[in-house]
Amino acid sequence: MKEREYPRARLDCLTREFGDEVLVYDRERNVGHCLNATAAAAWKHCDGKKSAPELAKLLTQQLSTPVNESVVLLAIEELSQARLLVESERPVRRTSRREAIRAIGIAGAIALPLVTSLVAPTPARAASCLANGQPCVSNVQCCTGRCGVSSGRCNG
Amino acid sequence: MQRLYSLVVVQNGQRAGLRRMHLLYADSERIARDTELDPVLAALETDLHRHVAEASPDMTFLHAGVVGWKGRAILLPGRSLSGKTTLVREMLRLGATYYSDEFAVVDDSGKVHPFTRPLGIREDSTYAQTNYTAESLGAVSGVKPLPLGAVVICKYKVGARWNPASLSHGQGALELMANSIAVRNDPRQTLRRIQKLVSSAVFVRGTRGEADESAASILNLLSAGNRQEKE
Repeated sequence: MKEREYPRARLDCLTREFGDEVLVYDRERNVGHCLNATAAAAWKHCDGKKSAPELAKLLTQQLSTPVNESVVLLAIEELSQARLLVESERPVRRTSRREAIRAIGIAGAIALPLVTSLVAPTPARAASCLANGQPCVSNVQCCTGRCGVSSGRCNG
Repeated sequence: MQRLYSLVVVQNGQRAGLRRMHLLYADSERIARDTELDPVLAALETDLHRHVAEASPDMTFLHAGVVGWKGRAILLPGRSLSGKTTLVREMLRLGATYYSDEFAVVDDSGKVHPFTRPLGIREDSTYAQTNYTAESLGAVSGVKPLPLGAVVICKYKVGARWNPASLSHGQGALELMANSIAVRNDPRQTLRRIQKLVSSAVFVRGTRGEADESAASILNLLSAGNRQEKE
């Protein structure tokens, strides 16, 4: 078996647990991700050695609710989109949220994996700052970090 | 010493054909210049606050309005012009204690400290602000650190009715991360303090209309949260 035949979670991210959810910080891209219980469980088990049916079995045990292969494939898709998996040389089987809902039925939709992502701000963006066009005397005052020398207004 | 500021103040009187500028340096870099002194001093204050927020080893600074209510802190994270100060001011009018209209300062135990700079209130449609102390608005400034009670993520829309939805702790923590000043420099400490901060908080998100309607509702939300906790 090739080393990266199955999905493998990146190990270079910072993680913090919030109940069943996991907050993951990608230091390479400066993006934070919130993984719900299903996505977090799938991510933790993605070690590059387990197939989708094996992951489904593990998740069913861990979450105490039936988790089928469609849900696992959706989790892999969401994690892959968020770039939380080591990039695979082999194309991963994909599924959409709609297909996954169809496969498990509306009643089971609570188990659908969800990854929410937000970009970490630069200090200038995170603090109070002036929008473009506003009068300024210093770069530090502008959200863009640029105060026009001749215009005396934020730009960029 | 981490950062040395130098302020060069020019004397009154202009020579023909020569504009004399007040200058502000941070270390060896010129960071502001203007013929008027007040804008240069404002730039000094902004840079100083930003630097402290970014470089503090003991505290995590989140961009948020903060008030104290019934022994807990209510955080209103949000970007510039999102209406934080307006909402803070309205909650002060209803009896809340002022903690900040700029930063929630979080320590290692997850408590929120006051950062009681004067409220910068925009009184017309321009971006110009007038500063008011909490006391001049008839409110009291907080002194002691508080545990977090609620985080309210809202944006203003004319005529909107405040009907917020709950957020999970993970989703709420992600929102706080996205308003953290130093997360890029020190994500480990930032996430650790956010984890401590949110352990017993309520998170809601929604669109608000006028501040008077939503402010009362937000304070009630925390009262309801306290009741549930006691039960």
